Amino acid sequence: MGNENLVKDVVKEPYKYGFVTDIETEKIEKGLNEDIIKLISQKKEEPKFLLDFRLKAFKKWQKMKEPDWAALGYKKIDYQDISYYSAPKQKEKISSLDEVDPKLLETFDKLGIPLTEQKKLTNVAVDAVFDSVSIATTFRKELAEHGVIFCSISEAVKNHGDLIEKYLGTVVPASDNYFAALNSAVFSDGSFVYIPKGVTCPMDLSSYFRINSGDSGQFERTLIIAEESSSVSYLEGCTAPMFDTNTLHAAVVELIALDDASIKYSTVQNWYAGDEEGIGGIFNFVTKRGKCLGKRSKISWSQVETGSAITWKYPSCLLLGEESVGEFYSVALTNNLQQADTGTKMIHIGPKTKSTIVSKGISAGKSKNSYRGLVKMGTKATGSRNYSQCDSMLIGDQASANTFPYIKSQQPNSEIEHEASTCRISEDQLFYLQSRGIEFEEAVSMMVSGFCRDVFNQLPMEFAAEADKLLALKLEGSVG
Amino acid sequence: MEIIEKIKTNKSTDNLTEIQKICLHKLQSSPLPNPKSELWRLSNKSKFSNFLDYSFNEIDSKFDIPYPKNSQSTIRLIIGENCLIKLIEKNYSIRQLSEDELHKYIKEQISGFNQNENWCDLLNLSLSSKNNILGLKINGSKIPPIEIFSHSSSDSLNAKTLVIFLEKNCDIELLQVNLGRENSSLSQSTFFCLKENSSVNHGVVSFGENRSNLLNSLNVIQQKNSVYNLGSLHFKFNYARFEISIKQSAGNAKTNIKGMQITKKDEQISTYTKIEFNGPNGFLDQINKSLADDKSHAIFEGSIIVPKIAQRTDASQLSRNLLLSNFAQIDTKPQLEIIADDVKCKHGATISQLNEDELFYMRTRGITLTEANKLQLSSYFQEIISFIPVSKDRWDLLDKLLNEN
Repeated sequence: MGNENLVKDVVKEPYKYGFVTDIETEKIEKGLNEDIIKLISQKKEEPKFLLDFRLKAFKKWQKMKEPDWAALGYKKIDYQDISYYSAPKQKEKISSLDEVDPKLLETFDKLGIPLTEQKKLTNVAVDAVFDSVSIATTFRKELAEHGVIFCSISEAVKNHGDLIEKYLGTVVPASDNYFAALNSAVFSDGSFVYIPKGVTCPMDLSSYFRINSGDSGQFERTLIIAEESSSVSYLEGCTAPMFDTNTLHAAVVELIALDDASIKYSTVQNWYAGDEEGIGGIFNFVTKRGKCLGKRSKISWSQVETGSAITWKYPSCLLLGEESVGEFYSVALTNNLQQADTGTKMIHIGPKTKSTIVSKGISAGKSKNSYRGLVKMGTKATGSRNYSQCDSMLIGDQASANTFPYIKSQQPNSEIEHEASTCRISEDQLFYLQSRGIEFEEAVSMMVSGFCRDVFNQLPMEFAAEADKLLALKLEGSVG
Repeated sequence: MEIIEKIKTNKSTDNLTEIQKICLHKLQSSPLPNPKSELWRLSNKSKFSNFLDYSFNEIDSKFDIPYPKNSQSTIRLIIGENCLIKLIEKNYSIRQLSEDELHKYIKEQISGFNQNENWCDLLNLSLSSKNNILGLKINGSKIPPIEIFSHSSSDSLNAKTLVIFLEKNCDIELLQVNLGRENSSLSQSTFFCLKENSSVNHGVVSFGENRSNLLNSLNVIQQKNSVYNLGSLHFKFNYARFEISIKQSAGNAKTNIKGMQITKKDEQISTYTKIEFNGPNGFLDQINKSLADDKSHAIFEGSIIVPKIAQRTDASQLSRNLLLSNFAQIDTKPQLEIIADDVKCKHGATISQLNEDELFYMRTRGITLTEANKLQLSSYFQEIISFIPVSKDRWDLLDKLLNEN
């Protein structure tokens, strides 16, 4: 009953992360050109290889066209009307948390992200990113004892340049797609994780992304490297204030798993989705990809997508290593005028590779929710298997649910199974629950929660509870 | 690409019918479909241009139907053979559509045509002359089975069009056979209009000879309470494309589709289906099977569109594929686009090979590997073949397919 009580508690809550922190920020002028990129690079005191990487990406981006195949309806983005760097003004370098602006700490406290270590009871290390820069990373010492590197990517560039140079852009090359190229040119901060050989990360790692400014985009970059026989669980959360304008978020996440390594990447995405009329909200164009390079390596994506006006996101796995495993568990909920086009790509390259896809889409209001996925068996993927399941639930007669699975096989000794179904909230079940004294909205919440159970079971404990709360909150007023 | 050049430069429009003129006009601005569009991106470019390489031929060579007529009662028609059809019996009547009726209906259809989605129809209608369009109006009951043949002549491109109006409360069994001759291309477009309470068992069997190509398009409009059953089979084409578009114009109709395509050598055969429900209580049960061997490529793309008005739609779509060689390829993309909330829609897709456990079992019972393979394939084929009307017993389609394999 615990979960159900939580659901009840929050059903009436509005978007509670919609506040703006009044803090002095340093923002560079709007617009995008080579000078701006050089300025970002200079501000971050980056080595030459990174500036070259950025400029090369920018050249490629200039030649690319914004993709339109997802048929998402949104007004054209003016890329010259965005500020590509915004950071809270700080005195020099921060050596401990005590020096962080108390207003910032307060912000993260309000969001429920404890940054001050003494207050922390949960065993989760956090890297908090505010607009374009990382504010603080907790539990560093403890992690360092195990040889785990967990820091902001700007820090990693300075202290572990060799690793960045070796791996950055190897999974998602700058020329991969329009938004990845843009991110490669202007990315400001993000998280870097390195798990050395044989180490099981002693605690969950977590990044918290916060957009505070209304006219600056957020372009973070995350790179996670799991060496042989290591394992890590990484959580990611996102929120933004309510603005009438649309803010662009174009992130790139790269995961690399070597022999016998495993990476679990969980996301609860709750960017501001715009109001009931569809005004405001975040445009969320994200490229997430993992490379299972080593034998028996495993990458597992789990995501709960509830926010953003527009979501365009396909966390993917390149299964190169023999017997490597890719997983994708997703719940995407859209309400009002939200549009979500999300799914995954499982590219089976090595032999005996396996992948599982479980996707649950819930569309309410006038929203549009699409699953778009690719499963590909290459010529060398002998003995490989894929199983996909996509279920959609429609609430109300104005929402749309689409399924576009692309399936391609060039290997006769492999098997692909895909199934998809669409349903609605069953009236019989509703009637049953109501006849037992459960209120209508609560009954709907319970049923939605049951519909998503397969995916919630894959989320880390604290995320699962949050996800349940979120869904109930988002569905408020959309049924009945 | 002789045809395309002709379309682009065609000025001698004197002998052309109004329909041909409209379609030519639609094609002239961009005569070829966009190869990047979803419907054409997997199409093999050189094979597709091979389709267009043959010179257009309006007059057919003499055609001998390769299968004997088994009973006198079967009605057998060949598109392109100039004959007047007027059959009026006690229970039923079959008569040719007048030119006006034909023009009116086709014109109505092409007004909503789109360059990429209906390119095959536009090409067909811009080429097929009066002689090569067969229009029938069928009325009544206890109608004997009908067989309609289309064929191409060697070393040429032929275009044939079939239009059928099925009147209220009428039900028929119709088998359409498309035969591709050696080194030839056939463009076949079929328009079917099912009035209220009518029902059709429609079979489409298309097979070619050495290096023959086919563009086969089927447009069906179903009115209330009509039943449309389609069993189709495409094999032995260098390049073949089967486009099915079915509209349940006011819902409350039933559609059953069972289709199969078999590719060998370096062939490419694709099936594209689009089923639209424009009213409530529609029903669809679709299964598409592919078998790809050698270096061939089989493609299936099926979309089901359920708008808000189509409440209580019950639709299911299944794509089952067998990939038998290391060099063959299968692409499949079943899609659902749903806005109505009170619906039951599902789809599934599998790609695999012949089941090894079954093979092992049969071999332990003393059945040779070749025989066991044949048995497995025949069970795979049988589900589709048994759904094709008229032909199933005497055409020995199953034997033909198994011997091919």
